[in-house]
Amino acid sequence: MRRAWLAISGTALVVLVTSIVQQLHAQTQQPGFVQREEAPEEFPSGAGRDETFYACTACHGFQLVAQQGMNRRQWDESVALMSQKHNMPPLDDKDRETILNYLETSFPPRAAPRGGWKNPFTNR
Amino acid sequence: MLDDLLNRRFFLGSAAAVGAGMVGALPAVSTGKAFAQAAAPAAPKGPQYLKYPGKNDQLVLLGDRPLVAETPENLLDDDTTPTEKLFVRNNGQIPEEVKDPDQWKFVIDGEVKNKVEMTLGELKSKFKPVTRRIVLECGGNGRSFFSPETRGNQWTNGGVGCPEWTGVRLADVLKIAGVKPSAVFTGHYGSDPHLSGDAGKQAISRGVPIKKLMDENNLLVWALNGQPLPNIHGGPLRLIIPGWPGSVSAKWLTRIWVRDRYHDGQGMGQFSYRVAVKPMVPGDKADEKNFRDLESMPVRSIITSPANGAKIAAGTKDIKLRGAAWAGDLTVKLVEVSTDFGATWTKAKLQAPKNKYDWQRWTSVVKLPSDGYYEIWTRGIDSRGVAQPHIAGSWNPQGYGGNQMHRVAVLVG
Repeated sequence: MRRAWLAISGTALVVLVTSIVQQLHAQTQQPGFVQREEAPEEFPSGAGRDETFYACTACHGFQLVAQQGMNRRQWDESVALMSQKHNMPPLDDKDRETILNYLETSFPPRAAPRGGWKNPFTNR
Repeated sequence: MLDDLLNRRFFLGSAAAVGAGMVGALPAVSTGKAFAQAAAPAAPKGPQYLKYPGKNDQLVLLGDRPLVAETPENLLDDDTTPTEKLFVRNNGQIPEEVKDPDQWKFVIDGEVKNKVEMTLGELKSKFKPVTRRIVLECGGNGRSFFSPETRGNQWTNGGVGCPEWTGVRLADVLKIAGVKPSAVFTGHYGSDPHLSGDAGKQAISRGVPIKKLMDENNLLVWALNGQPLPNIHGGPLRLIIPGWPGSVSAKWLTRIWVRDRYHDGQGMGQFSYRVAVKPMVPGDKADEKNFRDLESMPVRSIITSPANGAKIAAGTKDIKLRGAAWAGDLTVKLVEVSTDFGATWTKAKLQAPKNKYDWQRWTSVVKLPSDGYYEIWTRGIDSRGVAQPHIAGSWNPQGYGGNQMHRVAVLVG
């Protein structure tokens, strides 16, 4: 795939790259609003991090993923939902394994109550 | 596929550099810059806040893409929620702002005698406008209280607001359309593109049964707090279907499809905006056949002052409380407060709603016996006598109906 792209000549290449980037970041520009650009390095390191990051951020921010904590089956269901309803290309077994390994390890269910209510006076 | 994605990353990095040298500039690729950087920017620490023109910078950002931000409870202290403090919920991309709002077109079709095709300008001139203070609440409000965690944006209590909406009654327009007896359900459509950019997909398209469609409180809205409805809130035209998950109140409204069957749009069916019929074990694999649509939102009371974490002067005995409560299609019969974790409760002074589907503001004064650490809890009880629970029960995989009691911690002295 990469080799094929590199074979394309200069101008066409720019057009192609531009269109891919526009597709990847197809958000219309809202005046006065700059969407923060995420990078995989912001998130827990581990095998499969970059693959997972790019698979998810083709459509949505990774913060949506990182704010959740689920077990492997639930992550698998989330990934399946993305393919069924939201145009994510179906993953082959190897890729699915890579992504689920990362999600399961990096974003497991958090045991203690969190999110909604945190005691603002602890760990002062 | 993953190999392609990774290759794309490195490829874009080098191509951007080549492109810059080749044609002098490649502005469209600038969004790809992060891909090319060897060292990534540091991850933001702690809560992130929304930075958006016209919006309060204390709204908590839940996600950039789609853009989602909630309003902390203490920012809901105004009787009427100012536009800058109204939460932001998108499912897709934010469409470009239209230049001539009055030329905005929408359609009501399907199981109607007369298809309605109208511009916003015509809508404004043909029908009598009404202004109502109405609660708009995200269906997933309270999701973060579930244990185990559930899928989706982790809202606390802040996916809600109660501003003044101006528009016309949907019922008035439906009189012209003439809903046929064959009508069963609606499908609502907006112009927001799907996140993938696929023009053939809706970002979201939900609907309601015909009985709810005919509710005289439903509005076609073009103004928010007396100003033209901002683009970020679905302007120039959106639906307001009060009391139900906000996602049925389509933003950037282009079409109401009156259908002869249950709607099958994006965000309908399976586990979307749905709760279990037969209670399920939290965290178990869910059975789609055991699910029904979440309709009316459940009762919820919040303390809007003092804020969670407030420090109060030593020796203060009386703490003045303010709050708000609402209950979907119902009203709130009673709001109670507690300073002993729910062991004993005191009745708050509860206002009547201004109009149906308004929230109800409440006040109370609680007496504290000494300085120290206290938690103030509140619970609402709806007109059918149903109170908020201590925890988010009725677990479902996408976390709807999480309405556990709100609590704030204060430190006196």
